[in-house]
Amino acid sequence: MILNLMLLLPSLAWAAAGEKVPDMATRTVKVEGLSAINRFFASWYNTNKWVFAIIVTVLMCLVGVAIAAVTDVLLKNIGMEVSKIEHHE
Amino acid sequence: MFDLFNIYLPIAERDFNALILVAIGFSVGVLGGFFGVGGAWVVTPALNIFGFPMAYAIGTDLAHIFGKSIVATAKHRKMGNVDMKLGIVSIVGSVIGVEIGAQNIMWLTKLGLAGPIVRYTYMALLFGLGIYMLYDYMTKDKRAAAQAAKMAAARAGAAPPARKAWNLPPMMNFPASGITISFWTVTGVFLFTGWLSGFLGVGGGFIRMPALIYLIGCPTAIAVGTDLFSVLFSGAYGCFTYGVKGAVDIVAAIAMLIGASIGAQIGVTAVKYVRGYGIRLLFAIMILMAGLSVLLKQMQVPVFDKVVVMAGALGMCVVIIIQLYRGFKKEKAEKLGH
Repeated sequence: MILNLMLLLPSLAWAAAGEKVPDMATRTVKVEGLSAINRFFASWYNTNKWVFAIIVTVLMCLVGVAIAAVTDVLLKNIGMEVSKIEHHE
Repeated sequence: MFDLFNIYLPIAERDFNALILVAIGFSVGVLGGFFGVGGAWVVTPALNIFGFPMAYAIGTDLAHIFGKSIVATAKHRKMGNVDMKLGIVSIVGSVIGVEIGAQNIMWLTKLGLAGPIVRYTYMALLFGLGIYMLYDYMTKDKRAAAQAAKMAAARAGAAPPARKAWNLPPMMNFPASGITISFWTVTGVFLFTGWLSGFLGVGGGFIRMPALIYLIGCPTAIAVGTDLFSVLFSGAYGCFTYGVKGAVDIVAAIAMLIGASIGAQIGVTAVKYVRGYGIRLLFAIMILMAGLSVLLKQMQVPVFDKVVVMAGALGMCVVIIIQLYRGFKKEKAEKLGH
C-alpha cells in the first residue's frame, strides 16, 4: 500500500504525459500466435496475476544472479576481480 | 538492421527494440552500481523518449531494479561495502517515513496543492543537495588542512574545547561502517529520508546515499553499498506488487536486466578505483543534471528535459567506465612493478 501511494505520486506531481492508464488488474492479453515462452507468461497473466507476480519476481532474481555469475567469471579472467577494499575518502 | 532486434512484448502487446532496452538497462546498471541508486529517474524518461508504453514503465523498471540490485549488492558485499545492520534499520525507518509522506501528499492533494509543492520541493532538494556536495568537494582540502592544524595543536597541548557530540542513548554500533551513533539520530534521519521519498514519489536512493554520508557519517563506498541493499528490498516489493497489478512486461524487464546486470558489475568494480570524494563529485553533477531536467519540465520546454537527463546519464556512464579503465590499467602496471 505504501509503495502504491508512493508510486501514484509521479502522476500527481508531474501532470504526466497524458497517457491513459488501462485497468491492468483485470486486463487480459492475447495468447494466440505467441512463442512458447511468451504464451507461458501471457497465460499466467490472464489466469492468475499473483502467480504471474511470483514468476516475475523469481525470474528477475534468477536471471540477475546468472548474468552476474557469468560476468564475474569474465571479469576475473581479465584480472578485474574485487575483494575487500580500503575505504579512502 | 536495427529491426532485427525487435522483440514482441507479450504483456504490453507490441514490438519493441531489445537493444534499446538492454542499452537503457546497461547505463542505469552502471549508475546504480557506482552510486547505489535505483535509477528510475533515468529509466522513465528514457523509455518515454523511445516510445515504450508508459503504463508498464514503472512496474517494468522496478522489476529490473530488483534483479540489478541483487547483483550489485552481492558484489558490494564482497568489497566490504554493505552494512547490513544499518541497511535493515534504514528500511524500517524509511517505510514509516514513506507512509507519513504519502499521507501528507494525500492531504495536500485534497487541498489542490500537491502538484506545485512537490515539484518545487523536488527541485530545491536536487539543486540544494547537488550544490552542497559540490561545495563539500571543493572545500575538502581546506577542511583537511584545518583538521590537521587542530590535531597538531592538540598534540602540542593547546587542545581546543571539545565539541559537543549528540550522544543521546541508546547508542547503536555499526561495526561495518565503523560508527557509533545515537538511535534517535539514525531513526530520525531515515524517517526524514523516507518522508521525502513518500512526499516526492521517488524511490529515495539518491536521498538516502548522501544522508548516509553526511548525516550518519558512513564512508562513501559503504553508503553506496548499503543504499543498494535498501533498494533491493523496495525493488522486490515493487516488482511483486506491480506484477500483481498486471503492470510489468516481463520480457522487457528481462531485456533491461540483461543490460543492467552487466552494467552493475562495471559500476560496482569502478568504486574500487575511485576515492570517496570522487564518487561524491560525480554524484553531485548527476543530481544537478536531474534538477535541470526537472526545471526544464516545469518550464514546459518540450523534449529537452528528457534529453538532459539522458545525456547526463550516458555522459556519467562514460566517465565511470573511463575511471574503471584507468584504475585497472594503473593497478596492472603496479602489479608488474612499473
